[in-house]
Amino acid sequence: MSAFQRGGFRPFRGGEEDSPAPLPADANEKTEFVFARLRYPSQRYGGYWGFRGSWATDYPKADRQFLQGVRRLTRIHTRSVEQVVDLDGEEIFKHPWVYAVEVGHWNLGDAQARKLREYLLRGGFLMVDDFHGTWEWDIFMASLSRVFPDRPVVEIEGPDAIFHVLYDLDERFQVPGIMMFRTGRTFEQDGIEPRWRGVYDDRGRIMVAICHNMDLGDAWEWADWPRYPERCASLAYRIGINYIIYAMVH
Amino acid sequence: MFEILFKYPWTVFEKGRLVLLSGAPLWLLAALLAAGGAALGAQVWRRSRSGRVVMSWPRAGAIWLLQTALIALLLALLWRPAVSIATLKPQQNMVAVLVDDSRSMSIREGSATRLEQAAAVLRNSLLEDLKKKFQVRLYSFGKGLQRIETLEALEGKAPASRIGDNLKTIAAEAGSLPVGAVVLLSDGSDNTGGISLETIAEIRRRRIPVHSVGIGTEQLERDIEIREAALPSRALADSRLSAVVTFRHRGYADRKARLVVRESGKALASQEITLRGGDARQTEAILFNAGIAGPKSLEVAIEPLEGEEHRGNNSLTRLVHVESRKARILYLEGEPRWEMKFIRRAAEEDRSLLLASILRTTENKTYRQGIANPKELEEGFPARPEELFGFQGLIVGSVEAAYFTPAQQELIGQFVDQRGGGVLFLAGRSALADGGYARSALAELLPVTLPERKGTFAREEAGVELTSAGRASILCRLEERAQNNAERWKKLPALADHQDAGAPKPGAVVLAELTAAGGRRMPLLVVQNYGRGRTAVLATGGTWRWQMLQDHTDQSHEMFWRQLLRWLVAEAPGQVSASTPRGVLSDETGVSLQAEIKDRSFRPVADARVEARILGPGGSAEVVELNPAPEEPGRYAAAWAAERPGSYLAEILAKRGEEEVGRDVLMFLREDGVAENFRTEQNRELLTKLAEQTGGRYWRPEQARRLAEEISYSEAGVSVRETRELWNMPVVFMLILAMRAAEWLLRRKWGAV
Repeated sequence: MSAFQRGGFRPFRGGEEDSPAPLPADANEKTEFVFARLRYPSQRYGGYWGFRGSWATDYPKADRQFLQGVRRLTRIHTRSVEQVVDLDGEEIFKHPWVYAVEVGHWNLGDAQARKLREYLLRGGFLMVDDFHGTWEWDIFMASLSRVFPDRPVVEIEGPDAIFHVLYDLDERFQVPGIMMFRTGRTFEQDGIEPRWRGVYDDRGRIMVAICHNMDLGDAWEWADWPRYPERCASLAYRIGINYIIYAMVH
Repeated sequence: MFEILFKYPWTVFEKGRLVLLSGAPLWLLAALLAAGGAALGAQVWRRSRSGRVVMSWPRAGAIWLLQTALIALLLALLWRPAVSIATLKPQQNMVAVLVDDSRSMSIREGSATRLEQAAAVLRNSLLEDLKKKFQVRLYSFGKGLQRIETLEALEGKAPASRIGDNLKTIAAEAGSLPVGAVVLLSDGSDNTGGISLETIAEIRRRRIPVHSVGIGTEQLERDIEIREAALPSRALADSRLSAVVTFRHRGYADRKARLVVRESGKALASQEITLRGGDARQTEAILFNAGIAGPKSLEVAIEPLEGEEHRGNNSLTRLVHVESRKARILYLEGEPRWEMKFIRRAAEEDRSLLLASILRTTENKTYRQGIANPKELEEGFPARPEELFGFQGLIVGSVEAAYFTPAQQELIGQFVDQRGGGVLFLAGRSALADGGYARSALAELLPVTLPERKGTFAREEAGVELTSAGRASILCRLEERAQNNAERWKKLPALADHQDAGAPKPGAVVLAELTAAGGRRMPLLVVQNYGRGRTAVLATGGTWRWQMLQDHTDQSHEMFWRQLLRWLVAEAPGQVSASTPRGVLSDETGVSLQAEIKDRSFRPVADARVEARILGPGGSAEVVELNPAPEEPGRYAAAWAAERPGSYLAEILAKRGEEEVGRDVLMFLREDGVAENFRTEQNRELLTKLAEQTGGRYWRPEQARRLAEEISYSEAGVSVRETRELWNMPVVFMLILAMRAAEWLLRRKWGAV
C-alpha cells in the first residue's frame, strides 16, 4: 500500500497470472519508464472476472524478461516489473506507454473507448500484439473503431522512424508464438503475413502500433528457452525497444 | 506693500549691494555704538540704585536694550546706508519677448486658450511698459525662433517647442545686440525633455536673466496621460508580448478604464483597469499576441473617459518587428525520457521554433531529430563554434557534465557569454548536482549554486507555485489575468519528479517554486542574464504530467514550454544585429543606424560591406552605406535623416566579397507634433529652474505687470550702476516710532514713568 502511495510497483492481485515469474528485489524502484500492461475486458472469457482475461497472456514473465533486455541494451531507466493498468481509473495517464496483448479478444465499453482515445490524444502510446488472422482482426477493430471512428489504420512503412530509432528493422519477419511447436507453423489461423500497422495522429506520429499476425510477447516470454529461435527472440526485443524509444521521443 | 515700506522693490535688495556713503570709518560707528550703550547702561543702573524707580533687573535690561537699539539705528543712518545696483540704460537695451507658439498653447482652459492668455498678459500693459524702457523684440517659437511684429501672428500650431534651442539662439544674438533680458511666455512643455546645461551655461555667461511667465494650468482636473509604453522592438511570430504601460491620471480615482492595444485600428487586446488614487504613476501590463511576421505599428491606448480635458495624450504608438526567422534550439538528452517527448511536441506546434535533438539511446548510440541535413550533429554534441553557434538556444537534459569535453564546456560558456544564446538546464538523475555540474566549468553558467552532494534528484511528486516574480513574468503566463494565472499554476498536476537545485545566485530570479514531500519548498524555475545571453534551470524532468494528467485540449504544458523556449532564444542575435538608440524620433529627423557584424563563429567581421535599404512613408526608398566604427571591430554605423514623418523599415545587409554574411531588419518611427499632446500641464518646475539659474524670476500671469520695472535691474546689455539711499525708507521712521512707543508702554505698564 505504501509503495502504491509513493508511485511504486502495485502488484495486481487478480490471480490471473498466465506465466508466473519471481518478483525482483528492486521491483519497487522508482524509474522513468514503467512497462504498463493494459487490463481490458475480453470476449473470450466473459470479462475481467472469468477464468483469466486474455489481457494477462504471458503475464508477467514476458514483461519482466523483456524489461531485463531493455535495461541491458538501452539507457532507459526502467523498472524491473510491469504495472497493470486499466481503462476504468486514472492510473493509466501516469504511464504514457502501454502494452496490450491478445487484442483479438478485447471488448472495450464505450467509456473505456473514450478513455483510451483521451489517453492517446494526450500523448499516450499503445502497442498491441499477439492476435492473428481475419477473425481476431475484426474483433480488434470493433473496439478500436469506437476509440477512433475517424482515424484509419495504415501500414507502417519501412522508412518510418519507429523502425530506425535505435535498431534498423528493415529485415522484419514473422515472430511466432510458442504454438509453433505444436502446429509446426509460424502463423496462427489465417494470419500468414506479419503486418506492422498503426494509427497516426494529425502530425504524423504513431499513437497505436499494431503488431498483427505475430507474437512478440511469446518471444519475450520464451527467450530463455533454448528451443525458441534466438533470431525470433532478438527481433521481438528489438521491435519492443524501438517502440518504447519511439514513444519516448515522438 | 514691500515697496511702500522699503521704497524700492525686492529685486533692488536681492540684486544690489549694501554700501555706506558717509566715508567715515566703520570702527568709529562701532565705538560710538559701544559708548552710547555703556552710557545708557550706567544711567539705568544709577536710577535703579537711587530708589526713585523700583524696577527689577530684567525689566531694566529690556528698557536698556530698546534705547540702545534706537541709538544704533540713528548712528547707522548717519553713515548713509545705500544699495548699489546695476540697471539697464533706458532705451539702449533690447528685451526679447519669446512667446511659445506650439500646439500645446492651443489648449483651451476656461474661456481662453493658453496662447490667448499669453497675449492678454502682453496686451495688459506688459508690452507697453517694456517698450517705455527698452527696445522690445517679439518672437514666436516652436521648433525654431521667428521674429514677429504683432501678437496676431501667433497661431499655436508649431508641432514642437524647444525652449533650450531657442534660448541658445537668443544668447548667440546677444553677441551683437545689447540683450538686457529675456521674457519667456510658455507652458514649459519642452519636447526635447529639458534644457541642456550647456544652454544654461551660455545664458549665464552672457548674464542674461530669463524671466519666465508660466502659462496654463499647473494641474488638470480630469485627465489621463500615458507616459510610457514599453514593448520589445522585435519578437518571434505568434509570441505573446507584454506592453507595460505607465500612466498618471487626475480626477479619476477608483474609476474603471479600458487599456487596449490596436493594430491598424483593430484591437489585439483589451483589459479593464482600475485607476488608483493619488498622484503617483501607475503601471499596468497588457498581453497580446504578436501575430504573423511583419512590421507592426501598434497603438497602446487608454480609452478616454467622460469629461476628460485633454484626449490627445491617451495613446502612444510603438513599432514591433515580428520576425519571420525560426529560432533553432539544440536539446541534448542523456537518456530516453518522457519529458523529451512532450517538449518536442510543444515545440513542434510553434512556427517560430525548430528543435534539434541528440538522444543517447544506448552507451554507444545517439538518435538525432530535427537536424537540418544528414551530416548535422553526426559526430554528437558540437565541438566547433560555427556548429554550435548556428543554434540560438541549448537544452541540457539528464546528461553528466563529464559527457562534455573541457573544450565543449568552454564552448557552451562562449555560446551564452559571447554568442548571446540561451541555455536551459533540466533536472534528472544525471543532471545538476547529481550529474557533477557543481564542480564543472558549467557551474559558472548556472543561475543557482548547486548543492555539494549527490542524491538531489527524487522521483517523488511535487506541487508547483509561482513566486511574486513569476506572477509578474510573461514567461509563466498561462492565463491573461495575473490572478487567474497564479490560481491555474496552483491547480497544475503534480510534477513527476524534482531536484534540489540549491540556492539562486545574486541577480538570478526564481519564477516558480516546488513543494516537495514534507512541505519543503525549493526553486523550480530560476532564470538569469549571463553575458550577452541568458541561462535557466528547471528543477524537474516531470512537467509531462501537466500534459498527461489534464484533458488533451488543455494547453498549459504546450504554452509553458513554448514561452520558456521562446524566452531562451528571444534575445539571441544573428550574425548581423542592427539597432538604433531611439526607435521613436519625436519632432526630429536624425537617426543613427548601427550594426554589429559577426562571422559564423561570432567573431567580429571588420572587412564587411554593410548597407541599409531603407523603406520610408509613401514607398520612398534609399540605400545608405554603414561605415566601420573606429577602434570597434565589427561595428558599423551611419547617420541618416528621416525627412518625412511616418514609419521606416531598414534592412541591414552585410556582405563579405560576394558572400552574404547576414541581414537584419530595423524599424523606427518619426512622429511630428505628437509629443506636444503630452505633459500638457504647465511645467512650472522647468520654468522656475530656468529663471533661477539665469538670474531671472518665475512669474504668474497676474504678477507680470511688475515685470517691466524689475527687469531694469540687470547687468546684461548696456547698464549703469546706481546708488539708492536707504535713510529715507518709511520703514526706518516707523521703526524709530515703534521703539519709542514700546519703551513708553513698558514703563507705563511697570509703573516706572
